[in-house]
Amino acid sequence: MLYHFDAPGRLTTENLIAELSKKLNVQLVSQHYSLKTYFDSFDWRLYSGGILCEFNQSKPVSRLILKDCLSGQTLASADLDSIPAFAAGFSNAKIRKMLSPLLEMRALLPITTLDYTLYQLNILNEDEKIVLKIIIESYDLINSRISLEAIKGYDNALARVSKILIEAGLKPSRSSVLVDALKTQSRKPSDYSSKLTIELAPDLRADIAVKYILSHLLKTIKINEQGTITNTDSEFLHDFRVAVRRTRSGLSQLKEVLPEAENDRFSQYFAWLGQLTNQTRDLDVQLINFENYQNALPVTLRKDLTPLYDFLSVKQKQAQKTLAAKLKSSEYVIPLRQWEDFLKTPAIKKPTETEALLPIKNLADRRIWKVYKRIIKQGNRITDQSPAENLHELRKTCKKLRYLMEFFQSLYPQKKIKPLIKVLKDFQEILGDFQDLEVQEQSLKTYSAEMIEKQVPANTFLAMGVLIQNLDKRRCDTRNAFATKFETFKQRENQISFQTLFKNNEPDT
Amino acid sequence: MKIIAAFNIKGGVGKTSTAVNLAFLAAQTGYRTLVWDLDPQGASSFYFRIKPKVKGGSKELISGKCELDGLIRGTDFERLDLLPADFSFRNLDLVLDSGKKPTHRLEKLLKPLGDDYDFIFLDCPPNISLLSEAIFEASDILLSPVIPTTLSLRTLDQLKKFISHKKIKKLQLMPFFSMVDRRKKLHLDIMKILPEQHPDFLTATIPYASDIERMGQERMPLNAFIKNSRSTRAYLELWQELLEHLNSKSL
Repeated sequence: MLYHFDAPGRLTTENLIAELSKKLNVQLVSQHYSLKTYFDSFDWRLYSGGILCEFNQSKPVSRLILKDCLSGQTLASADLDSIPAFAAGFSNAKIRKMLSPLLEMRALLPITTLDYTLYQLNILNEDEKIVLKIIIESYDLINSRISLEAIKGYDNALARVSKILIEAGLKPSRSSVLVDALKTQSRKPSDYSSKLTIELAPDLRADIAVKYILSHLLKTIKINEQGTITNTDSEFLHDFRVAVRRTRSGLSQLKEVLPEAENDRFSQYFAWLGQLTNQTRDLDVQLINFENYQNALPVTLRKDLTPLYDFLSVKQKQAQKTLAAKLKSSEYVIPLRQWEDFLKTPAIKKPTETEALLPIKNLADRRIWKVYKRIIKQGNRITDQSPAENLHELRKTCKKLRYLMEFFQSLYPQKKIKPLIKVLKDFQEILGDFQDLEVQEQSLKTYSAEMIEKQVPANTFLAMGVLIQNLDKRRCDTRNAFATKFETFKQRENQISFQTLFKNNEPDT
Repeated sequence: MKIIAAFNIKGGVGKTSTAVNLAFLAAQTGYRTLVWDLDPQGASSFYFRIKPKVKGGSKELISGKCELDGLIRGTDFERLDLLPADFSFRNLDLVLDSGKKPTHRLEKLLKPLGDDYDFIFLDCPPNISLLSEAIFEASDILLSPVIPTTLSLRTLDQLKKFISHKKIKKLQLMPFFSMVDRRKKLHLDIMKILPEQHPDFLTATIPYASDIERMGQERMPLNAFIKNSRSTRAYLELWQELLEHLNSKSL
């Protein structure tokens, strides 16, 4: 078991050791300068999963330690010279297996680094037997940490030393080193999430509220910009695109709120920006899915698919390069700055837009209810014979509803809106799958045409043919499942819930 | 969990050094390891600087009134624990005899430790008694250090007869030469002949060496104070041979 204490700033480590030595037989095992770096994904997947990833570099050895966030217990450790970018890069199987399901495609990034002096002490009894191990991490910027490592069967020593430490003014640690270190930079863990959390007051003027929502999305765009340019991992671009799409949806769904000229101009800009990122994202998805592609093939054909991976990688790099260049160009930068300035401009006293002065809750009710009704209408029109386009249109409408519900979440009781978002999300899944499978199938056909010129082995085309067949079968299965999924979505119980929450008392429009 | 007993009817043949040094190597390899000092002299407890004292003595321990886990002490080395000896262990035979199924008692006591340890080394007192029988029933391997002398051959035969008479099928006897003095012709002669009669002898041999005797002064396993010597190499070979044997039988 480990017990952690914080030393008050005024107590130096030397004084603490001297204090212990007065009462106990203390053996200083080692003392050396070290660097501690915390790693996590950009969106804090390890921390959210209850893991602290600590890389301690010192002269004798550099060691990666995975700790339980709450107890501080070591879950796994390995001596390493450097930290690989992705979970798959760890040669230690235990670490790889712990990190892979949490990180998935996200890269490990250094969050914060601290330097400290590490002291290792033993407390010995009259037989010179170790009865307790003490580790002191002495920091400059935050309180030093003292960890007591109990030895089985020597609980008395643990109790005695704990008492001495408390008498000397030490307190049991309440927060981790990471939390304290981030505090010095006015940060805290999990300070980025791709999920929207926008707090709105129900009677806030619609134009002010909409600008507030859009500013929040702009922040997400800017935060993910650098990672998208450097291609640190695929999810920077993903989050960047989602924020762009949400912005576009906000502009079109809440049209009568902001000045028309600006609305039109920036709608065009964000449509261009969305288009710009399409190809790189499509290729990212293909590369992320590649393992699934392979696994879906008969074993004998799996290796034949490798040239496709190479082709996709090269193409992704090219697309990424073009995208990065665009994101550094004035074509992107200047309008974005203007957008930021526009969002910062204080609200006009008497705006001309019809919905600008509405309390945001009224506008939210009205928009959500309207889009919900449109979904039901569109869905009802779809039969087994309807063309794919109808499903795509429905998918887009669903996305609009989803964004609206997420923008305005805080205006409704969480217990009521969350289950409805979930109902919608479940329904969106089948529409999303249908679209993704079609895009993947279509892209593979286009790629195979390009690959013919590159003298790719014939077996690769054979494997790709089987792959396209698989995707097509899945797409048909998904299409066949649509009617049942839609029935679930529009069931009476859900309709009543939507109506009660959003219909309000206003007459239908 | 594998239970390995360092056992010989004779005393002073290197049982404690075997248990202590192999347990140390097992822990260093990464296995969670326990040494149970069953000898009332408490030599392995002494080597680990742990007081040879068990609360309640042999009676409470054997009766199962107090769980073994509460009596275990951590040594100075990672993954290596010790269940200390107690002077009352001199009466272990009597205590065992007064209970039910005495020869299966140790096996039953050790069973709950299966989740906590990969290896348990039993440092056994010399002699052949009811306690020995209980040790044989509990163990997977009887690792027996043999000094290459004529008398040793006799005791090894005695031990083999005893084990086959008791029909303990699970137990495997693994003798090896201990305290070998290569300057002594008798040692060399016996080492040549004995394995022919006893093909189960391990090939690793432990020399008679002053650094092994120094364990008493240093009060720690050999590898903890000497990194590389003839003796450390010998124990490492013995450990590897043992491990290979266990791996071949799928540990």
